[in-house]
Amino acid sequence: MSVRHRILDGCDLETFIVCKDVEEGKTLGLRLMAELGFEDADVVFCEMGGPGVRIRLRGYVYRPSADYQWYDLEV
Amino acid sequence: MAQGRSNGITPRKVVLAPLDPVHDVGLKLIRRKLLERGHHVALLPPDLSMEEIVARAKAEDPDFIMISRALSYGISELLAKFVDLCDAAGLRERAKLVAGGLSMKPVIAQELGFDAGFGPDTPAEAAVAYVEGHEPGLSTGGRRREKADLTAGFTYKFRDAEIGSLCTTIARQLIDWASKRTSSGVERAHLRIEMESQRDSNTALYPRLRDEYAALTSGEIREWYLTGKPVSHTRPVTEKEAGYIRSLWENADKIEIPRSQEILNERNVFVQYGTGCPVMDAYHISLSVAWGARGVVHFDPSWGARNEGLLEQAWSHEHDGTVLTLDNLRLIRGGIIPGILWQVRAHRGLNTPETVVLAHLSGADLTKINIVYGSLAAGADPERLAVDGVEAMKLAAKYNLPYDVVTNEELAGVPAFKAFAGMLIVAAAGVLLGGRPLLQPLFANSPEGMIVGYTEDNFIDFNVAKMKVLSSIIDAPIWPGAPVGFLTQTQDRCQSSVMTALHAALALDSGATAVTIASSDEAYAGGPITAPARVDSLKAAAAALRFFGQGGIRPTPEADRIAEKIREGILEVLKKVAARGDFVASLYEGDLGDREDGAYPGRSGKGTVTLKR
Repeated sequence: MSVRHRILDGCDLETFIVCKDVEEGKTLGLRLMAELGFEDADVVFCEMGGPGVRIRLRGYVYRPSADYQWYDLEV
Repeated sequence: MAQGRSNGITPRKVVLAPLDPVHDVGLKLIRRKLLERGHHVALLPPDLSMEEIVARAKAEDPDFIMISRALSYGISELLAKFVDLCDAAGLRERAKLVAGGLSMKPVIAQELGFDAGFGPDTPAEAAVAYVEGHEPGLSTGGRRREKADLTAGFTYKFRDAEIGSLCTTIARQLIDWASKRTSSGVERAHLRIEMESQRDSNTALYPRLRDEYAALTSGEIREWYLTGKPVSHTRPVTEKEAGYIRSLWENADKIEIPRSQEILNERNVFVQYGTGCPVMDAYHISLSVAWGARGVVHFDPSWGARNEGLLEQAWSHEHDGTVLTLDNLRLIRGGIIPGILWQVRAHRGLNTPETVVLAHLSGADLTKINIVYGSLAAGADPERLAVDGVEAMKLAAKYNLPYDVVTNEELAGVPAFKAFAGMLIVAAAGVLLGGRPLLQPLFANSPEGMIVGYTEDNFIDFNVAKMKVLSSIIDAPIWPGAPVGFLTQTQDRCQSSVMTALHAALALDSGATAVTIASSDEAYAGGPITAPARVDSLKAAAAALRFFGQGGIRPTPEADRIAEKIREGILEVLKKVAARGDFVASLYEGDLGDREDGAYPGRSGKGTVTLKR
C-alpha cells in the first residue's frame, strides 16, 4: 500500500519552476503533478518573478466523502 | 552551592559546555532555568578544547554534563570523541552525558553513547526536567481543559444611553410584532422538540409527528421524508465510518498541543469546519484542536438555508458544508473534547429555530442568530427571518445558549454603521428575551473600507474603530469574524496566513473575547480546505501573538475619527428605524442596508408567515 493513501486529504508541493510566464509555469506544474501520479491536481497559487514562478500545487488524494484508506492501513 | 531558591527539589550539579566557538545562548537559557530551581551550575566558556572541557568538568564532579553544538559539520566525530574522553576520565561513573543544540538529532546522540539528546525544538524546561528526573514532555505542551464562558462578566448594559434607548425601543417593537406571528420554521422547531422526546418510544405518536413535520418541508428534503431518496450529492454515513469517528475520539481527551502553540491556550481562537464529511470533519477538528484551536464552528451546506426542513440520520456530503442533522451533530459531538467550545450556526435561513433546538440537543455551547444579515445578504425573506429569528432567540435563552450576532452583510457592501445598527437591535432583542448575545463585527477589508478609503493605508484603524465604537456603546462580548481577514487573504499561503494572524492578533489586542480564523486556503476556491492549510493559520496566529505579546498594536488617530463617524451613522439609522416604527418594514425599505449598498431582501420563505390563531 502506498504511503500516499495515508495522506489525510491533499498533498501540496511548493517549488520554483523556471519558465517564461505564469501560464507556462502552471502547465509545467500540472505536468509535474501528473508525473508524480496525482490524478486530481490543481494549481493553488502561481506568481511570476524573475526567472520563473513560485508555485504551489495540490494533489487531492481524498476529497470529502471519499473511500478513505488511512483508517487501518499498514504501510 | 545552589545559586537559586530552594523549592524541595534535590539540587544537582550541572556542567554546561558549548562545543562551538561562540554559540552558547541555549546553554545560558538552561543555566537561568536551572539556577531558578536551585541547582548548581557551571557554564564553561566557548572555544575550549574538548580536553579542557573534560578537565574542568572533572574538577566540578557533576551529576550532569550538558554540551551543545550548533554547527553540524563533523558532529558525529566530535560527539564520539567527547564520549571517549569522558569515559577515559572516569566521568561516566557519576555524570550523565547530554547533548543538545541546533544540529543535534536525539537518536544520533544516544547511538554515540550519550544518555540523552535534545533536538533544536526542545525547550529549556525539558533539560531542567531531565536533570530533575521527571517526565520532560519534550515535544508537547499542555492544554487548557476548562471551557471558557465567553459572556462571563458582561452586564449587557448600554453605555451609550441614546443608542441604547433607541435599540431597546425598536427591539420591543420587533418582539411584540413577532409574538403575533408564526411560520413553518417555528412549527417545525417545536415538532422537532416533541419528536426527539418520543424518538425512542414505541408509541404511535412519533410517526404521526414525523408526518406532520414532513408536511412542512420542501424540495429535496420533502422528497426524502416521503420517498427516502437522498438529497443530491449526499449518502448515508456508513456504520464503519461512524466507528472510525468513535475510535478517533476514544483518545481525544489526551490531545496535547505542540509547545509552540501553547500561547493559544490563553486565547479563544475558533476555526470553522464543514468539509461535508463527518469523518473528515472529525480529523480536521482533532488536528485543529491539537494546534491550539479553542473552539470549532459547524458549517452546513448553503442549500440547508433555502429548503424548508432538516434531514434525519447521519449523512456525508460531497461538497462544502456538513449536513445539519441531530445524528451528524451527535457523531461530531463525540470529539468535542473538554475545554473546547462548539458552535452550531442557526443564523440565516429557513431552519433557524430548529437549528437552535438541534444545537441544544447535541450539546453545542454556542449558536449564531442574526435577522438582518440573514435577510439582507443570505437570501431569507426579512419577514420570515424576523419571526424565526425571534423564536430562535427565545429558544436560545431557554436553553441558556449564547449566540453571536454577525454582520457579514458588510461583505455585500453594507457600511458598518448600518450593519452595526442592525446587530445592536437584534442583540438588544436578545437581551430583552433573556439571552446572551455576542457581537460579531466583520473584521476585514470590507467593501466599505476600500470604497471609502478607510483601509487605504492600513488594516488597523478601521477594525480598531469598530471595536472602539461597539465597546463604547454596550458592555457585551465582541467576537470578531467571521473569519477575520476577509478580502485580505490571497491564494499564497504565506500571505494568507500572515493576514489571518495579524487580524487575529489585532482583534485580541483590541479587546475581543474570541476570534474566528480562516485556514490558509481561505482564498482558494478550487477544492476543499486541507489539513495542512488549517495548521498554517493556527501556527501563524500563535507566532503573531508571541511576537506582539503585551506590546500591543498602535492605531493612528484616524481610528478615533472613524469610530466617531460610525457612531454618528448608527445613531442616524436607529432614529430612522425607530421613526418608521416597523423593524421589518425597515428591512424591506433598506434602512439597514439597501440595493445601492449591495443588500437585497431575500426571497426564500416569502409569504410563509401567518398570524397566530
